[in-house]
Amino acid sequence: MDYFILLSVSGIAIGVIYGLIGMGYALIFKATSVVNFAQGEVMMLISYMAFSIASSWALPFWGLLAVCVVLSGVVGLVIERVFIRPMLGQEVFSTVMVTIGLAVMIRAVVVMIWGADPLVLPTDIGDSGVEFGIVFLYTSQLYAIGLLALCVFCMWAFLRFSRMGVAMRATAARETTALLMGINVTRVYSLAWAIAAVIAGISGVLLGTIYGLGPDMWHQGLRAFPAVILGGLDSVFGAAISGIFIGLLENLSEGYIGRGLKEISGFLVILVVLMIRPYGLFGTPEIERV
Amino acid sequence: MLTVNNVQIVYDNVIEAVRDASLTVEQGKIVTLLGSNGAGKSTILKGISGVLYPEDGDIIGGTMTFGGKNLIGRKPDEIVRSGIVMVPEGRQLFEPLTVEENLMMGGITRSRSAAADALDYVFTIFPRVKEKRNTVSGYLSGGEQQMVAIGRALMSRPRLLMLDEPSLGLAPQIITEIFGAVTDLVKESNVAVLLVEQNAELALSIASYGYIIENGRVVMDGTPEKLLSNEDVKEFYLGFSESGHRRNMRDVKHYKRRKRWLS
Repeated sequence: MDYFILLSVSGIAIGVIYGLIGMGYALIFKATSVVNFAQGEVMMLISYMAFSIASSWALPFWGLLAVCVVLSGVVGLVIERVFIRPMLGQEVFSTVMVTIGLAVMIRAVVVMIWGADPLVLPTDIGDSGVEFGIVFLYTSQLYAIGLLALCVFCMWAFLRFSRMGVAMRATAARETTALLMGINVTRVYSLAWAIAAVIAGISGVLLGTIYGLGPDMWHQGLRAFPAVILGGLDSVFGAAISGIFIGLLENLSEGYIGRGLKEISGFLVILVVLMIRPYGLFGTPEIERV
Repeated sequence: MLTVNNVQIVYDNVIEAVRDASLTVEQGKIVTLLGSNGAGKSTILKGISGVLYPEDGDIIGGTMTFGGKNLIGRKPDEIVRSGIVMVPEGRQLFEPLTVEENLMMGGITRSRSAAADALDYVFTIFPRVKEKRNTVSGYLSGGEQQMVAIGRALMSRPRLLMLDEPSLGLAPQIITEIFGAVTDLVKESNVAVLLVEQNAELALSIASYGYIIENGRVVMDGTPEKLLSNEDVKEFYLGFSESGHRRNMRDVKHYKRRKRWLS
C-alpha cells in the first residue's frame, strides 16, 4: 500500500506539470486549430531564461514566477507575430510544420546560449518540503498543484465570462462569422499564443525548480501530448485532468509492470481511448442538428 | 448611403465573380438583390463586409462608399463599427455558444453597457430568442437560429443590415414572421436593408427597389412594380409564362435563348 501511495503521489506531481503543458496545447488548438508542437520547447526556453534571471538577481520564487509570466507572455506574442501570423490563410498543416521547425530551432538556440550541461534553477524554496505520513512533497510540488488549480480556474472564468474569452470560443467555432461580427481575429490569435506561452512558462519554472534544467527538457512537452489527446484536443480543462491521469498512469505502470513502460503507457492509453471516444474524454463532438 | 460603383471582384486573381456591379441603398429603404445561384450576390455582400480575403477574393476595380467614406481595403471590424453588418447565408451561428453569448459577440464592437442595452432591444424584437437565451445555439430550430442570427447582427446597432438569403430552408410561416420583423425594424429604426434572395416574389413584396444580377453583373434594376411587370422577370424569376400560366417544361430551351438578353 505504501508503495502504491508513493507511486501515486509522485505520479500526480509530474502529472500536474503535464496538465499545465497540455492546457497550452489545448488552448492554441481550440482558438486557432493549430497543434503547436513547440509547446514543450517554449517551456524549456522560459525555464532557461528563468535560470539566467535567478542567477543574476536573488529573487524569491513568486517574484521569479511573476517575472517569467510577463516574459513568457512577450515570448508568446513574438512567436505568434514572427512565425505564425505570416501563415494566416495558409493550410493549417503548414502552420503545424512551422511549429515543428520552431521547436527544433528553440532546442538549438537553448543549447547554443546555455550549453548542454544540466543546470539547477536556484530558488529560495529549494529543497524544502512537507511530510504527510510516509509521503514527502517538495514545496515546489505543492506549488505546482496549486498553480495548476489556479490556471484551470482562471482559464475557465476567462473563457466563460470575459468578452475576449467568449470571442475566442466564437472564433474557434466559426472564423468567418467572427470576422463578420467585428471580432478582431488576429488579436484573438495573439492572445491565445500569449496565454499558452504563459502557461508553458509557469510549467517551465516549476519543472526547473523540481527537476532541474537540461537540454532534454522538451521531452516533457511530448510526454504531455497524450494528456491533450486523452482530454480532447480542444478541451483546456480536459487537458489538465488528463495530465494528472497520465502522470499517475506512467508511474504506476512503471512501478508495477516494468521499466520502459513509463514512456509509452500514455500513448497506449490514448490508442484505446480514441477508439471509443475519437474526440477525447472532454472534447466537443460537433453539434449536428438533424 | 451605401454606394457601390462598377465593382469588380475576382477570386484567386483570375476567376471573375462580379463585374461592373453598381447599386445604391438609401437610409430606411429595403433594397433587394436577386439572381440565381452563383450570380455573385453573396460575393458582393462579402466584398462590402471586407471578408473576401479568407477566400482569396479581391476587389480589383470600382468604388464602394458608405456615408461618403471609402469601404474598400478596410478591416471587417472597422466596417462593422462604421455601421454595416451582415447576416451570413445559412445563419452561421457559433453553435457551441449559448444564444446570449452569440448575441454578445454581435455587440463586441460596442462598449459593454451599450451591448447590454442592445441585448434588451433584440429581446423586444424577437421575444422567442429571450426564452432561449441560455440554450446552446446549435440545438435551436432553423427559424430560431435565423432570429438569433439577425438579432446578433442587430447587436451592433447597424445603419445598414445585409441579409443573405434569410428564407433559406425555413417554413413559410417562419419566413413571414422574420420578414415581418425586418419590415417593422426598417419602419421603426430607419435602418437600411440590403436583402439577397432567391425567392424573388417574397423579396420584391417588401423591397422598395431591386437589382437583378446575372453572371456577376447587374442586368436590370428598378422598383418592384417595374420588375414585376417585366416579362423576363415574370418568366425566369417568378415562374410564370407570358400568358400568366406556369411554364411548360417542354419549352425549356426557350429559356436558354431568352436568358442571354443584355449580356
